[in-house]
Amino acid sequence: MPVGNSAATTTFTQTSDRELEVSRWFDAPRELVWEAMTKPEHVRNWWGPRGTSLTVCEIDLRVGGKWRFALASPEGDVTFFGKYLEIDEPARVVNTEHYDVPELRDHPAMVTMTLTEKDGRTFYQVNEIFEAAEHLQGAVASGMEGGWRETLDRLNDLVKTL
Amino acid sequence: MSAQADQLSATFSALADPTRRAILARLAKGQASVTELAQPFDMTMPAISKHLKVLERAGLVERGREAQWRPVRLDAGPLKDVDDWVERYRRFWEQSLDRLDTYLRELQKGDKRNARRK
Repeated sequence: MPVGNSAATTTFTQTSDRELEVSRWFDAPRELVWEAMTKPEHVRNWWGPRGTSLTVCEIDLRVGGKWRFALASPEGDVTFFGKYLEIDEPARVVNTEHYDVPELRDHPAMVTMTLTEKDGRTFYQVNEIFEAAEHLQGAVASGMEGGWRETLDRLNDLVKTL
Repeated sequence: MSAQADQLSATFSALADPTRRAILARLAKGQASVTELAQPFDMTMPAISKHLKVLERAGLVERGREAQWRPVRLDAGPLKDVDDWVERYRRFWEQSLDRLDTYLRELQKGDKRNARRK
């Protein structure tokens, strides 16, 4: 767990050619973060980029239960769905995640979310493992040297000059 | 693997090499001959040509046919695809979690008012 930092920033790490990690600290106790992440009436208030809204938000939080979220977008709804495999309230959830686009619909990612509390603050960490490197799309380059972020930073610099 | 993912994979492998990224950065300023591209690097012409072939296969550069020196030009299309995908993913999570952070603060204010905090 990285040292707590009061400046709230989201960290992305590519841990393997088919694995991503997203983490962040929240200034809130773990029970509250758990509530906000697992109850539809709360999830509707934050899930998705700014300016978007969920048209579907179904959560059946039990082992074997299903979830389905749909985000409104100008090109039609974008749907994500899956099944809960492990639930350890308020510390950990393991679920499958299908992104409902033709290439990925039948290739779920395995998502593990963990919440750890320290001094009243909560460290949120998501580990997302794709079935195969190509399903990670953007992170597909195996044998990439210098790391994923470095390449992306350079790529962003490069694109800006175009 | 879908054609799109395949293309993305080729683009990423091509970008994994620092020399090839430097070549692209040079071409972002305008077309150049192979000789011109080789100048800043301590490399033989065949080595540079090999890098150019990788970039060409990834669709990141094209070689002109009109002039004898066959200028190398940047094709930014695949770069934009990669950038779009990555940016979408990053934006999605950064913005969602920012919103969650704000929402958690609001919830806690509510908790204080209701004196429900531990």
